[in-house]
Amino acid sequence: MIAESFSFPEINSILRWQDLFVSFNKIALIAVAAGVIGIAVFLLAGRKDASKAPKGVRNLAETSVEFIENGIVMQTMGKDGLGWTPFLLSLFVFIYLCNVPGIIPLIQMPATARMAIPMFLALLVWVIYNGVGLKHQGIKYLTNTIWPPGVPVALKPLVGIIEFISNIIVRPFSLTVRLFANMLAGHILLVTFALLTQSLITAETMQLMLKPMAILPFGMLVFLTAFEVLVAFLQAYIFTILTAVYIGGAAHPEH
Amino acid sequence: MHSAVVHLHGSLVHLVSAAAEETVSKDPGPIVPELKELYWSIGSFVVFALLMRFWLFPKLKKGMDARYEGIRSAHESADAERSSARAEVADYEAQVAAIKAEAAREVEAARSTLEAERQAKLTEVNAKLSAQRAAAAAEAQAEREASRDQIHSAVADVAGLAGELATGRRPSADVVTKVVSEVMAR
Repeated sequence: MIAESFSFPEINSILRWQDLFVSFNKIALIAVAAGVIGIAVFLLAGRKDASKAPKGVRNLAETSVEFIENGIVMQTMGKDGLGWTPFLLSLFVFIYLCNVPGIIPLIQMPATARMAIPMFLALLVWVIYNGVGLKHQGIKYLTNTIWPPGVPVALKPLVGIIEFISNIIVRPFSLTVRLFANMLAGHILLVTFALLTQSLITAETMQLMLKPMAILPFGMLVFLTAFEVLVAFLQAYIFTILTAVYIGGAAHPEH
Repeated sequence: MHSAVVHLHGSLVHLVSAAAEETVSKDPGPIVPELKELYWSIGSFVVFALLMRFWLFPKLKKGMDARYEGIRSAHESADAERSSARAEVADYEAQVAAIKAEAAREVEAARSTLEAERQAKLTEVNAKLSAQRAAAAAEAQAEREASRDQIHSAVADVAGLAGELATGRRPSADVVTKVVSEVMAR
């Protein structure tokens, strides 16, 4: 009787990475690469002849600009929000480039599956939309936030608590957790099916049917990898569009 | 260290939690952010966002706007050209219609003139024909009258001679002439 086993790795071993050099690990590398790639793409795009029909890297950059302008800003903030396009574009590109390494062979780690990036970006968005609210509405922003117009006086204490928790506390938390948890779950799923495939292929067993059954977790691995392509885009889009909604809502409370 | 063990035992696959056997990990929880990751992320994003805001995006957008403006002005220019061409075509068609109307008027006037001239010629020719026909008729009548007189005279001579031969005396010329005239008048 043969008993071959594998140990599912300890969770930190698939999330925490050793330093490549002092205070610089794989997550930091991906974050820096995301920034550098984003800068390089838009730098190269800006050097191409703008008078001709865009192609290649310029086409990619212009498509992403139009996607942010038409697909996010105009839909959520209107024409007044076009000034926010550079920030939202940076946000979308940075998150997407941090998500995508989760499915790139040899890297296979989304930087957003660690808490640092989602938390920082969510806090930044929180500071920005509250700042925008105070700038546009003054001190009334605080009362408008916790007491939406038309709330009966009797309900104000209850609604005030709910809205305060919802708008001030839960929003950054939900922004963080949505991005972090989705990318972490995807990463763990990929690790699980990859290890299961490997363990079935290398299993020392008398049961001849066991090895061919590795095709099942391998199929799931391929499917989930393709699915993660969609998730990487979708999570960047959701984070960006929610940011636009929050900023637009703070700037124009009547919306 | 928390871990799980999958035993492939014959065809039996079962998952065994090994948590109870493990010692408590000294590592921070998996959701605790690491400061170094935070610093590098903040640095990368802030640099990227600032460059995007003040340099990369404006440069790209300026080019996009210039091209869109070029396309828009080209569209407007094309629209103006199209309107101008349509106006020219309309003007040309109006001129063609005016020329056609003028030509039709002139053709009609020529036709009227020609008809009048034809009618005049026809009348003139008919008048000539009538005159010639009348002259011919008069001439024929005169010829007929002359022939009649000659016949009358010849018949009167023959009749007078015949009477003389039958009776031995020549009948009166007046009677013969009267008789011949009555016979020829029948």
